[in-house]
Amino acid sequence: MEILKYIFKRILQTIPLLIIVSLISFFIIRLSPVDPLAELRLNPSVSKETLEKETQRLGLDKPIIIQYGKWAKSFIKGDLGITSNGEQVSTKLKERIPNTLLLTVVVIFLTWAAGIPLGILAALKWKTPFDRILTVLTSVGMAIPSFFFAVLLLIFAVRTGWFPVGGLTSANFADMGFFSQVKDIAHHLFLPVIVLFTISLAGLQRQMRANMLDVLDSDYVKFARAKGLNEFKVVYKHALRNAVNPLITLLGFEFAGLLSGAALTEYVFQYPGLGRLILEAVLKSDINLVMASLMMGAIMLILGNLIADILLIITDPRIRVKS
Amino acid sequence: MKRVMYVILILVLVLGLLKACIRRDIPDTNTEKAVTTREQKIIFPEDRKTVTIKGADYLESQAPIGKFGGTFTASTIGEGPKTFNPFNSKDNISSAMSEIMYDGLLTTHPVTGQPIPKLAKSFSISENGKEYTINLRHGIKWSDGKPITADDVVFTWRDIILAGLGNTSIRDSIVIDGKLPTVHKIDDYTVKFVTPEPFAPFIRMLSSPIAPKHIFEPAVKKGAQYFETFLSTNTKPKDLVISGAFKLKEYVPAQRVVYERNPNYYIINKNGDKLPYLDRLVYLIVGDLNNEVLKFEAKELDTINLQGSKVARYKAMEPHSDFTIHNLGPNTGTIYLAMNLNNRKNNDGKFYVPPKKQAWFNDINFRKAVDYAVDRKNIVLNIANGIGEPLFTAESLNSIFLNTNLKPYDKDLNKSRELLKKSGFYWDKQGRLYDKFNNRVEFDMLTNAGNTEREAIGVMIKQDLEDLGMKVNFKPIEFNSLVNKLVNTLHWDMVIMGFTGSPLEPNGGKNVMMSDGTLHVYNMRLEKDKNSPRYDFEKKIDEMFIKGALATKFEDRKKYYDEYQKIIYDEKPFVYIYSPTVIVAIRDKFKNIFPTSLGGVTYNIEEIYICESPEKCYSELISESKNQ
Repeated sequence: MEILKYIFKRILQTIPLLIIVSLISFFIIRLSPVDPLAELRLNPSVSKETLEKETQRLGLDKPIIIQYGKWAKSFIKGDLGITSNGEQVSTKLKERIPNTLLLTVVVIFLTWAAGIPLGILAALKWKTPFDRILTVLTSVGMAIPSFFFAVLLLIFAVRTGWFPVGGLTSANFADMGFFSQVKDIAHHLFLPVIVLFTISLAGLQRQMRANMLDVLDSDYVKFARAKGLNEFKVVYKHALRNAVNPLITLLGFEFAGLLSGAALTEYVFQYPGLGRLILEAVLKSDINLVMASLMMGAIMLILGNLIADILLIITDPRIRVKS
Repeated sequence: MKRVMYVILILVLVLGLLKACIRRDIPDTNTEKAVTTREQKIIFPEDRKTVTIKGADYLESQAPIGKFGGTFTASTIGEGPKTFNPFNSKDNISSAMSEIMYDGLLTTHPVTGQPIPKLAKSFSISENGKEYTINLRHGIKWSDGKPITADDVVFTWRDIILAGLGNTSIRDSIVIDGKLPTVHKIDDYTVKFVTPEPFAPFIRMLSSPIAPKHIFEPAVKKGAQYFETFLSTNTKPKDLVISGAFKLKEYVPAQRVVYERNPNYYIINKNGDKLPYLDRLVYLIVGDLNNEVLKFEAKELDTINLQGSKVARYKAMEPHSDFTIHNLGPNTGTIYLAMNLNNRKNNDGKFYVPPKKQAWFNDINFRKAVDYAVDRKNIVLNIANGIGEPLFTAESLNSIFLNTNLKPYDKDLNKSRELLKKSGFYWDKQGRLYDKFNNRVEFDMLTNAGNTEREAIGVMIKQDLEDLGMKVNFKPIEFNSLVNKLVNTLHWDMVIMGFTGSPLEPNGGKNVMMSDGTLHVYNMRLEKDKNSPRYDFEKKIDEMFIKGALATKFEDRKKYYDEYQKIIYDEKPFVYIYSPTVIVAIRDKFKNIFPTSLGGVTYNIEEIYICESPEKCYSELISESKNQ
């Protein structure tokens, strides 16, 4: 019951936050000197009538505050509006969200499946060559810019011909059987996943290692060892539970990054995800699309934090007592 | 000791990584000359002709007979199509992607540029130049098997184009004194168009796509709002009914557009088999130029448009590769330098251009001095890597209306100095230029930031003009703010921009050239200034454009458009700089490739076929013809 009340309170708090976020973003986009019709204006064959018609259709002839009001009204009703090309924003997003989710979920799953055990192992084998080599490798992983790494891998793909150059599916995808389809997607996903995996693995492994080292050094672990508990129980029952707490907060952020975390990599690999769509929308000042994506980002971040907090309440009795 | 070991280990790792990135550059053994001369001798097939088989008027391709099957993969840069409705498309990619599926009544001859029949069997223009009679083919069908008749043509023109649905640019371009042409059905296979005045550019509009009435009519009846969303990219491919060589099979957003052959197509080969040869046509949607190059090198693409900087490398690769490079000559782009000739005041009573600058820019000697100072050859050599042609005319170099009497000339600083002296400009001891009222000659030159080509041109022109003692503040600014300056606030001195024109119809440039045009860059008139006085040469250009559009014979029109080019050449409101050259690489296995400057490489996509190895496919073809 307490938890439900807490969740309700948190959700109420987000409403003014969302209003402020939307106001700021809307005005910044509209006040920037980007003219959504600039391209049309510089086309010699476009007539004045067409330009006027387009201005009216996009509502650019009205004051910004009225434009915002119109947008907010339909947003509350659940209507995301249309893009500057007249397509439904919601269908545009629906096309891309599954692709981005596929990429980020695979990456998050892999990094957590590999990062946590490696972090624990490095902490247990502290200062051994194994730990040292892992540290060097993760340093490289943290230091290398994802953009640069992605370009390197693309060149690798071109030179060797082992991997497709970007995209998500082959041209003859529709004619394949189910298993070849899965194989085809995996083949295309490999390189972008490698880039994102290397970069987020480094952070996660180091975090886990540091947490684990902290905990292993604490009094109660020493006590447990002194008591003669076997090492397995000390590490996996007592130490791990405490070391994993900060990672839950991290998981909340990962959730927020589900839809927006891979934009740069998506761009280099020409991956048909949200990142590319939104970048192009920003460049063209396609207001409804940009606003939809910004609001989605804000909501995901708030939701991620909420989930992390709830998980923390469940796993950590200390927080429960305090609240 | 241990630490040293780690350092060495890391260094080795890093070096290994770096080594992997290094590729030896292929030496530039080819000079630009070798690339830019057109060495390929192309033997074009004869013109297509209509043959009647069992009551159906097919169009017979005269190209060598090929083999059926295979896929051709090309690319499009950007976001991909926004609609598959050819009457709604507002951008080039959507137009290209939908026009693959919808043929027009006429098309353009790829070599001569004259209008020739395509979906129409023949056409004729009346003596007075107002009536266009179109005879349609009997017995040809839409992809769903329904016949293509005069009803479709009349419907398309009357209820879609002239009614102003979707993109109205065709309609806008054929309004003559507020009146529109009319369209009449004579019989099931004859249509007549009547224009209110003789209006030559109209013939080019007849290559607009024709829509199937039985599919479009319900959508048109639902009104303009619905029509905007009709045949959007979410349409199921099987709902499309088309007349073109290829029909949409699949559209995967941000990845590709796949077309399959239309089995009902009306173009046949000399054996009487229905074309196209290819089973499939694929357009990959790539985000940028670099990705396109990677995809071509990874053999995911069959053809690519090469940028100037890449041509030398590809030319070196060509002899031991599986592609051929074709030089299609200068494209329709014109890169120019314009000065603001505006001499009016804005709403606050201030001049758009400060009076002292007005005096310079409105001085023909000053404009000519600038023109003679620009080193076009050097710009082509350094910026376009020699893949371009210096430009001196308002029409692009591949235009059929190009005035060939306007001769190119070289940079000549002495001439520039003479011209400036004539107008009372003088230099101080440091070589700085002053006008006769002792004002230092200093102005801003703008271009759009991010366009590296134009930025580089700006730097070179700045140097050229500084040789004359002018002070040039070169400022690349963001594209949108630049456009805003050019068409709204009008507060600018000099600008470097580019236009793309039409090689076939100068009238398309009337928005730029005519004094009340929406894009009359060098002397833009806002709504309130529409009736302000014109310069003499502006009046003359207006006159040429009006006469040129109303004349009907090509020779008469050419005279008027030659004259307008001459006026611009003499008066220099635009200082044209250069036109880039189009260089295309295409894989050798594709045959029946007859590239032309006007048509590009794939204008005859239905005739293109695949032959992996010449010996093999010729022997197959011979045995096939024996069997028949």
